[in-house]
Amino acid sequence: MAKKQKKPALRKRRNPQQEFSAFGPLLLFGLLAAALFSPNAAIVAAVGLVPTIVLGFTGRGVHKGARLQCVGFANLAGVLPFIPQVLARNDAQVVVGDIFNIVAMFGSAAIGYALIYVGPMVASYVLQSLNQDRLKKIAQQRQSLVEMWGHEVLGDKDDEVAPKGPLRSKL
Amino acid sequence: MVSGENAPVPDNQSTFGDRYEVVATSPLPEFSTRGGDAFVVKDKEKSGTDCYALVHHPAVPVRNEVYKSLQSKPVPNMICPIERGLMNLMIDGKRLQRLVTIFGRPTGGVLMGADGKLHPRVNANRLRQNVALSILKAITALHKRGFIHRSIMPTNIYFSTPSSDDVVLGECYSMPPGYMQPFGMETLDLALSDATARGVGDVDSDYYQMGATLQSLYFGEMVWRGRDRDSMLMARVNQGSFWALGGGREIPGALGSLIRGLTADEVEERWGAEDVLDWFEGIGKPKRTTMRAWSMSRPTTFKGVAVVDRRLLANAFANDPAEAASFLKSVDFPSWVQMSFRDEVLSERLEGLLNVKPDSGFGGMRADDHKMVARVCMFLHPTGPLHYKGKSLFLDGIPSLVAEAFSRDDRESLSAVVEMLDSKFLQTIADICDTQGVKFGKQIADLRQVMAHASSKQLGKGMERILYELNPILPCVSVRFSNVWIGSIIQLMRALERIAGNSNARNILLDRHLAAFCATHGTDLEREFNNLAAAQHNPAKFNSLSLNFFGLLQQRCKMEALPNLTAKLVDGLAPAVKGLKNKKRREVVQVSLDKSKKGGDIGKLCTEVNMIKVQAEDAREFSQARTLVSRLERERKKLSRKILPNDPEAIAAGLRGGRIVAFAGLILISFLTFF
Repeated sequence: MAKKQKKPALRKRRNPQQEFSAFGPLLLFGLLAAALFSPNAAIVAAVGLVPTIVLGFTGRGVHKGARLQCVGFANLAGVLPFIPQVLARNDAQVVVGDIFNIVAMFGSAAIGYALIYVGPMVASYVLQSLNQDRLKKIAQQRQSLVEMWGHEVLGDKDDEVAPKGPLRSKL
Repeated sequence: MVSGENAPVPDNQSTFGDRYEVVATSPLPEFSTRGGDAFVVKDKEKSGTDCYALVHHPAVPVRNEVYKSLQSKPVPNMICPIERGLMNLMIDGKRLQRLVTIFGRPTGGVLMGADGKLHPRVNANRLRQNVALSILKAITALHKRGFIHRSIMPTNIYFSTPSSDDVVLGECYSMPPGYMQPFGMETLDLALSDATARGVGDVDSDYYQMGATLQSLYFGEMVWRGRDRDSMLMARVNQGSFWALGGGREIPGALGSLIRGLTADEVEERWGAEDVLDWFEGIGKPKRTTMRAWSMSRPTTFKGVAVVDRRLLANAFANDPAEAASFLKSVDFPSWVQMSFRDEVLSERLEGLLNVKPDSGFGGMRADDHKMVARVCMFLHPTGPLHYKGKSLFLDGIPSLVAEAFSRDDRESLSAVVEMLDSKFLQTIADICDTQGVKFGKQIADLRQVMAHASSKQLGKGMERILYELNPILPCVSVRFSNVWIGSIIQLMRALERIAGNSNARNILLDRHLAAFCATHGTDLEREFNNLAAAQHNPAKFNSLSLNFFGLLQQRCKMEALPNLTAKLVDGLAPAVKGLKNKKRREVVQVSLDKSKKGGDIGKLCTEVNMIKVQAEDAREFSQARTLVSRLERERKKLSRKILPNDPEAIAAGLRGGRIVAFAGLILISFLTFF
């Protein structure tokens, strides 16, 4: 009796577009650590970092981690200046209650988003410039090879030099 | 062949040529042989010596061992060589370099001229008293040294002086044994083979020639002249050679019994030295010659002729192998053998060896039918020659046959020899002979060493190689060297140097004769020739290998500088140098070659510029350059396109950059906030 062939084990393939970033867990861990040290500071940070947290939960796509880091760093840069105030007064309400502070913190996240938008544009410009330099070098390298080996090295069969001087004048 | 490509004769005369002066306007036809033309010669150092010069023909191999032996220790009653060497000659208005041998010259005149005219001093008495004894002395001395004369002819015996009764036997060194001798002057077995392939023969064949010569001198005529081969053969087989040569005329007295004894057709009955000495002393009993039973039990009708003698039947089969094959296939062979040869038992082994297959019904000549006829002929006449495709030869006659075939450019004979040089076929022939009590195993062993070259088309092999292997004394017979005598690699290189000085010597190694000569006379050149053969269709590589080859020869022979040959070989490298892809390397190599070629040392040039290595290196580096170019091309194509912000590459780089900026901002603000 023929043995039943074993079915190959199904492998769970990770969606290549879903990348894992440690930034979110780190941020969460940081907030919890801050809560142990100063609950008010943790509240301010939690409120100020809402754009980042939202992005962390809703973000999809190839560069999710990079985008999260970009927004996260910018957002954190906007939140950090308010932490000394909270620590000095030991009251989160003072900072959270002021709409301008919230705008400032969320605005810094917006700068992070702006970086995500502007970054590729700048990068394309820079890369284009770098490519031009590399192309120049390739052309030089190619020229030196042609000088050393003749046009045949390019795959041209006919390496004859065009007639010059008297022969050309005869023609 | 362009005449300019013929090697010019050297400008300087050799030391030998300085000593002897050959008078080309005074030929001596009585001393000329198939191997060379005789002329009057003057010895400038020793005047008064009677000698003549034999100018050798390049296509006829000489018997070198005979020369060495006779030159070092002459045989009395025989013309012996004194010296030999290369000499520049003007013959028929043409300047030639030839091998010339100086012989001691008998001045009494030849016993019988080429026109059949008898010397007036020849008579029966002198034949009995002087001629027979002188010939006997000469041939017994020669036999003691292990040589057979095979050129004992009335036209090759001379009175030693005009007044003396002593006669001397002519030389036998200038051509192979029995070469082109008349049919009647050879024993029946030897005579049945082609005149150029009779082989060395044996002592008895000399005694037969002695008898036939005495008979001819007695009758005062060339007994072989005016008789066609077939009628002579028929007469010799049916009546015996003595009666056939004499045309039925008896020779009375003691001389008659001597000649009858010497010309006996059966080897066992033929007189030898002892018998002749007995005859001189008058104590020998005159022998009667009998006819050995070569007759078949009943005649076989072949091509409308009833043949009884098996030698004649073998000859008839050999003359028409196609008809013979058809005849053999049409008869019931075992029954035919049993009926025709009742005394013999056709054993299963012999039947297997002969392997006569009945007609398959398809008609026509099969490829191996010639071999079948050859086997049957050998069965019929085991002491006779090997008959194959109309050629009749003894195995030790193959060297002279091949030399003669090349001199006539006889491709048919050469292809027959190629087919014949088949180890299996020859072994079968030997086995058939063995069953009949005839052995010739050693001859096959000698041929087996060169058989592998025969059918090869490679440079340095083929029948040209066979020619030089079997005739080591033969000069290179390439058309390029028709004016000169090339007997060694050194002479060859010097001739090439002269050719190079006068004309174009490119692709000279493609000359098959030259290649075969080099392969034979040089040692361990197989690898070089294999490489050359592989590069035959690649001129650049071939010329580079030619340079290496000649460099090797020049070094091995420790030769002087060869500037012309070097220059031509370097010129021949032009395609190879032009073929170098690397321009700088090309210039460097050209400069090195131009610098080295002036020295004329090909070996040194090869060491300094190893073209094969340079070519290989160039090809390897060119291949690497091509790979690099294609890689650069791919990269260029990739870099040439415009990069847009939504390209994945730009997005990734942009995000990476944005992240760095954001992080830097974070660090800056943290610093400002806390410090």
